[in-house]
Amino acid sequence: MMPLGISVSWPVLAPLSALAVGGLVIILVDLVTRNVHRNVLFGLGIVACLVSFATMLPLYGQSLVTLNGAYASDRFSWTFDAILLLTLVVTFLLSSLRKAEDGGNPGAFAALLIFCTIGGMVLAGAANLMILFLGIEQLSLSLYVLAGTGYPREASQEAALKYVLLGSLASGFLIFGSALLYGAAGSISISSLAPVAASLNALFVAGFALLLAGIAFKLALAPFHTWVPDVYEGSPLAITGYMAVAVKAAVFAVLARIVYTAFGHDSVALIPLWVVAILSMLVGNLGAIRQQNLKRLLGYSSIAQAGYIVLALSGVGRQGLSTMLFYLIAYAFTNLGAFAVMALLGDGADTYANLNEYRGLYFRRPWPAAAMALFFFSLAGIPATAGFYGKILLLQQALSGGPWGVAMAAALIVGTLISFYVYGKVVWNMYAYPSDEALAPTGNALAPWIAVAAGALGTLVLGILPQIFYASQPFLSVASR
Amino acid sequence: MLIDTVIFLPLVTAIVLLFVPRTARSVLKAVALAGAVATFALSLAFLQLGPDTAADQSVPWISGTWLASYHVRIDALRIFFVLLTTLVGAVSIWAAFSYRDALRLRGFLCLLLAFETTLLGLFTAADLLLFYIYWDLMLIPVFLLLSGFSGSGEARRAAWGYLIYNGAGGLILLFGVVALVNQTHTFEVQGLTLALSPQMEWWIFAAFAIAFLIKTPAFPFHTWMPATYTYSPPPLVAMVSGVQSKAGLFAMLAFALPLFPHAAHTWAPLLLVLAIASVLYGALAAIGESDMKTLVAFTSLSHLGLVWLAFFAFDITSVSAGILMMISHGLIAAALFLLLGFIEERVGTRDLSQFGGLSLQAPRLAAFMLIAAMAALGLPGLSGFAGEFLILIGSWQTQPVYTSLALIAVVLASVYMLKLFQGTMHGPLRGSSPSGGLELKAREMWLVAPLLAGIIFLGVWPGWFNDKTPTTVTAPQASAQIGGTRG
Repeated sequence: MMPLGISVSWPVLAPLSALAVGGLVIILVDLVTRNVHRNVLFGLGIVACLVSFATMLPLYGQSLVTLNGAYASDRFSWTFDAILLLTLVVTFLLSSLRKAEDGGNPGAFAALLIFCTIGGMVLAGAANLMILFLGIEQLSLSLYVLAGTGYPREASQEAALKYVLLGSLASGFLIFGSALLYGAAGSISISSLAPVAASLNALFVAGFALLLAGIAFKLALAPFHTWVPDVYEGSPLAITGYMAVAVKAAVFAVLARIVYTAFGHDSVALIPLWVVAILSMLVGNLGAIRQQNLKRLLGYSSIAQAGYIVLALSGVGRQGLSTMLFYLIAYAFTNLGAFAVMALLGDGADTYANLNEYRGLYFRRPWPAAAMALFFFSLAGIPATAGFYGKILLLQQALSGGPWGVAMAAALIVGTLISFYVYGKVVWNMYAYPSDEALAPTGNALAPWIAVAAGALGTLVLGILPQIFYASQPFLSVASR
Repeated sequence: MLIDTVIFLPLVTAIVLLFVPRTARSVLKAVALAGAVATFALSLAFLQLGPDTAADQSVPWISGTWLASYHVRIDALRIFFVLLTTLVGAVSIWAAFSYRDALRLRGFLCLLLAFETTLLGLFTAADLLLFYIYWDLMLIPVFLLLSGFSGSGEARRAAWGYLIYNGAGGLILLFGVVALVNQTHTFEVQGLTLALSPQMEWWIFAAFAIAFLIKTPAFPFHTWMPATYTYSPPPLVAMVSGVQSKAGLFAMLAFALPLFPHAAHTWAPLLLVLAIASVLYGALAAIGESDMKTLVAFTSLSHLGLVWLAFFAFDITSVSAGILMMISHGLIAAALFLLLGFIEERVGTRDLSQFGGLSLQAPRLAAFMLIAAMAALGLPGLSGFAGEFLILIGSWQTQPVYTSLALIAVVLASVYMLKLFQGTMHGPLRGSSPSGGLELKAREMWLVAPLLAGIIFLGVWPGWFNDKTPTTVTAPQASAQIGGTRG
């Protein structure tokens, strides 16, 4: 059965389908059984993630395309899908807390999270510009709503509004850029951009510039980052964590696919990307210096970290992909861990987004404080954490990448030094003050502890035994189309 | 196996401590001291190594992008630093018994022990990645100890100076390390003869040298040091000034000089200038200082500047004397800072103009102080003399001008050390009289005694030290080859 001449390979689409079915089931259950406890719905969501992951297992190591070459499933997208599912599970865990916000409608909340993740997985496998746009829109539209689920908190409404206004503008750039690229290449397939990319005609340059601007907005690269602090601060805690990890991973997947299929690493067309990366590393870290709100601080940090990750694309050959994946996985464990500690202490509310609440935390709650210190050390790239090994891979990649690579490496060094102060300040607060001040009470629920433990384990194991990542070699081939 | 035990025993002890309740203070102290002393005892086993034998152990660790191994090694060069670390570590843990804040004692001991492990790891690492990991990792315990466990606003501020300066040094070193490994594709660089382009070698050596100058520290990278040394609690400053300050110089000998012999010679003139500047500036600043801990901090700058001179004079006598000087300075600085800590506990101030005349009531404290101070000013028969004298003899052969300038500092050393000793011990008894008496308690006496014994031993019998170090070296690349044969 092939309507419209489209070839459909269901096993390749099974992970997406499983999630979609899960989302619909949640909506149905929510409709049919009134007043079901929300953790039942979130539990269903986690089950959907597990089922989806199970259907991914047979695809491991294969390079398949479906939908007439529009959607690829290869080792590259597989790893991104795994990161997205992990993030989704953690987000459900953190949303299940007593004081966690869900906009008063947990069914819609859970379903939107799932649909958002489907968008991310579509992006990870997108092999043409149309699917790319579909994926980004699916991801973004769900997130616009989710950012506002802190209702009736005003900051949350503000976050949703800012996000949707600026996000639509970026989508406009994306779709317009895609149209111009289609005009230049005569095809919407990403791989067909390669010949025109080499010739650099005016239509291509204009189209690629717009596409890049749209992607940079979604990745929160400077100077397209201005929405980040407010949106990160206003969104519910679990959603902020999800944005910081899942959105970044999905959009980086598609950016890497474009760069690696259409360009050589020394292409002149990529220079704007390198400039944007250098700006992000500096702007993100400098902006974080004065933040007193941890969600904002991590927002600025995510700008800088996105800049670091772009650096992985500057190197020669496929090794850049493995570097990028390593760093993204490290970043996922670390960031999710940090958000989980915040959620754990505030029992789901973002009380513990306030930096002052961490004063003397070590003397009240030594274990969460130690975990938080570990995550912030990893973000700063202190040895024996995943962030450190990721950073030396990035440096190695950059230093083998010509003059722009060296410039980015220098920005990485400067940015990291600034970040020592930024991240050190959080740790300093936990250890430097006596604990006798009157501070908010802390939570101690099981669900966030699972996320904290997973984050800490991932951070340490990848930092001490990075060979584990290489042993599985999940990243070496981008599927040819 | 034995090497791993020595490296990780302090860390394991720290982890065990985490499971002891905070209120069980005597248990905490006993466990911590037992772990530290056992580490010292085990490390003594490596004394049987001859000058040309080594305990070596290597396990493959990372392959693919580059090669790295978990490669640890104790040889004729490293054994002295390992022994210095385990000795000063055990002494510092014992000194930490008088730590006041009951709530924080456990964290304090844990972090000191973790710090000891990072130092031991650094001095045994034969793989560049492993070395770098410990190099950067040691920032964490010191930063936490300064910010959370020193109890003063000045110390909390000093923590930032320490972190930013040493973090910058670490990142510059990382830049150099990665640039190097991009050429070699392996972190197992010991014994490699590299075919780097001169420019590349020049840059990479510069990155290494800056990091080492910051860590030691040497002029003009020393500005983090006075605050850190002054406001650290005595056990911490004993370890930072006694042991951590040797990390950069050790790495220069173990990694940078053998790997980049040509660049080392190109950079030598500038480094010699910085060395002499450290020697003289440290001495002059110490003379003008009235805070007794800051004073000793500046003497550190001066003495370690002398070791930089020794290395970059490229003379065989001066280089091996430089190693002796480092060990000797480690013992002296640890002893001095611990003794000053005891004095501060008693009189409640560090300002030399606020008190004095302690020798009247505390003759044992005065005697101990006298030995440490005399060793620092280079009295013959104590270890400071042996190191200083041999360095000057050696470097005179190749760098007579710089050596004569350094001689000025030897004279100045008597000025500041006598100022310190007279200011604290002589004259009429002044300042507020403490309740508990001024004299050293038995614990305090016994914990400083091993350091003083080491000072006297190395001073009386420096030949023991020389017999332990390999002698197969020829000029003119003397120091480079020392590093090579030992590493």
